Amino acid sequence: PRPPLLCRKLSGLYFIEDRKEWSDLEPVPQDDGPNPVVKIAYSEKFTDVFDYFRALLKNDEKSERAFTLTAEAIELNAANYTVWHYRRVLLQALEKDLRQEMRYITAIIEEQPKNYQVWHHRRMVVEWLSDPSEELEFIADILSQDAKNYHAWQHRQWVIQEYKLWDSELEFVERLLEEDVRNNSAWNQRHFVISHTTGYSDPAILDREVQYCLCQIRKAPHNESVWNYLKGILQDRGLSSHPGLLERVLELKETQCSPYLLAFLVDSYEDALETNNTRATLNQAQEVCALLAQVKDTIRREYWLFLGRSLESKYGPTAAPQSDAASSDAADQQELS
Amino acid sequence: EEEFEQIDFLKDRHVRFFQRSLQVLPERYSSLETTRLTIVFFALSGLDVLDALHVIDKDNMIEWIYSLQVLPTEDESNMQRCGFRGSSHIGLPYSSKGPGMAHPYDSGHIAMTYTGLASLLLLGDDLSRVNKRACLTGLKALQLEDGSFYAVPEGSENDMRFIYCAACICYMLDDWSGMDIHKAIEYIRRSMSYDNGIGQGAGLESHGGSTFCAVASLRLMGRLEETLSERELDRIRRWCIMRQQTGFHGRPNKPVDTCYSFWVGATLELLDVFQYTNYEKNRNYILSTQDRLVGGFAKWPDSHPDPLHAYFGLCGLSLLGEPELMKVHPALNVTQRAFQHLQQLQQAWRDNVSSCT
Repeated sequence: PRPPLLCRKLSGLYFIEDRKEWSDLEPVPQDDGPNPVVKIAYSEKFTDVFDYFRALLKNDEKSERAFTLTAEAIELNAANYTVWHYRRVLLQALEKDLRQEMRYITAIIEEQPKNYQVWHHRRMVVEWLSDPSEELEFIADILSQDAKNYHAWQHRQWVIQEYKLWDSELEFVERLLEEDVRNNSAWNQRHFVISHTTGYSDPAILDREVQYCLCQIRKAPHNESVWNYLKGILQDRGLSSHPGLLERVLELKETQCSPYLLAFLVDSYEDALETNNTRATLNQAQEVCALLAQVKDTIRREYWLFLGRSLESKYGPTAAPQSDAASSDAADQQELS
Repeated sequence: EEEFEQIDFLKDRHVRFFQRSLQVLPERYSSLETTRLTIVFFALSGLDVLDALHVIDKDNMIEWIYSLQVLPTEDESNMQRCGFRGSSHIGLPYSSKGPGMAHPYDSGHIAMTYTGLASLLLLGDDLSRVNKRACLTGLKALQLEDGSFYAVPEGSENDMRFIYCAACICYMLDDWSGMDIHKAIEYIRRSMSYDNGIGQGAGLESHGGSTFCAVASLRLMGRLEETLSERELDRIRRWCIMRQQTGFHGRPNKPVDTCYSFWVGATLELLDVFQYTNYEKNRNYILSTQDRLVGGFAKWPDSHPDPLHAYFGLCGLSLLGEPELMKVHPALNVTQRAFQHLQQLQQAWRDNVSSCT
């Protein structure tokens, strides 16, 4: 448990201005001039803490009382990055116990897990200690409360990459996907781990991932994340290059259809058209675009119609011969000026 | 089909909402202290989109914004810390002109420099009291080896948001010496995800906000078509257009949120495919988050409005061509009118330069 605020008037303690150990310091008020804008109406207590904080800052005082005051300022406004920076300066100048600081920042993040400053502060302390040993468990706890917290995932990726803690991450990802197969952050982490460890070049790994996706699709077909992942790991090799996949997808179309499956089909047909432009394949692509526009993904009707027109103009009878895209320097110059 | 939700746009409520935001906020908004200038931007630009800037005292506002500029000290020893502050929270005495006052912890913040300049611009100011050299020196000092930016010289997190702030600053000041464009572009490319959206950094989950920041930055740099192939652009278009559920969400399988009607909508507009979205569903969603009593918009229906969602809700409606709203420049995130004022200013700057040389 964290120490309570030192100046809670309601509980009988005094404001800082009433305490003699601060009497040497002249508090510094905020000055917004004659016409303040977006002025925040602070209580006396709030003003008191920050007026003294500003005084310490001005003198760049490096003392225990300054350190204690930063905790009070943080409790009032944990988003004030100047307070956090000053606290870090003091942590170093006063050679404070960083293990205790880890306990402190752990508690603050648990209370305010969507604040940028607290995660940055934790990262600094971990770096100073060169000790990531608590991180994966801590982040897992934060993710158990909000499995998609972007700050938490960002910190996790930093820790893993910086300290090479890859070994049990795929297992962690699978656990999360078992809890919620639609957790897009977990799918992203899956890609992060594999691309930085085994990679996707090994056909055995690639096939394992494809099978994993097909399995998850059968369980929960209406899931954009799994289709994005499947497409993502195959698209640069060519969607139509994985043997037998198109057939499996066409099977799934009958019983586990979704807009994402159909989009995958269109993209597979387009990929095939790039190397072997036939009217038959183009027709298949057009059929799926029409199905999406009219029935399966009507919110994007205009887009699927547009895509159909694009395919026709790129691969249809009136298509111009393929060439490198002309540069648009003229347009760029205009943008710059 | 019965209509239970009211979907009429309450323009006057929103004008009053922004006016109130500019006055006094209760203590529960204390976490916004260091970012007050961004709140000012949301309110001013919001009023601009509502064509209602006449309700505020522009001159007073301009003075207050200039008081937030971190100017060089006499000996110019703090050049790398120059820019704009978010507020007076450091405790320097009020001053809307130089020279700068030495203080061990006074520095600019990249998002405040961006919103400070944009606010001055939309108020019709000519930026003549901006120390451009100082701002650009301060900006350059924030860029990291990997191409991304810190927010403050003392250090902070670094991600796509601050690349966008940097691009806006350079664009407005018409001077790209404040950043290494090549490194920034490389950071953007490395942030492209396997699913064709763009994350806050390499390996991170693709997100509507960072996708906007990346695409808008490239557009401002004049490098969009040269950095991304037509195939890559098509893939980003697809990722973005899939974000529409009713309104838009920021990531697959997340709930929709009013502000993404701008982040994703503007990106789609920059990529010429916003026209293929479903306007009715988008509009109905945004209006379902309108607060009929106090004005403004919230992220979700029946939630409390705030200046950010009020502003981006309006911008989302503007993209849809809502009558009574001014058009918004999808890359610079100011009205077209403010953008034209900027173009005139920059022409005058260029004319001055050529008449001196």
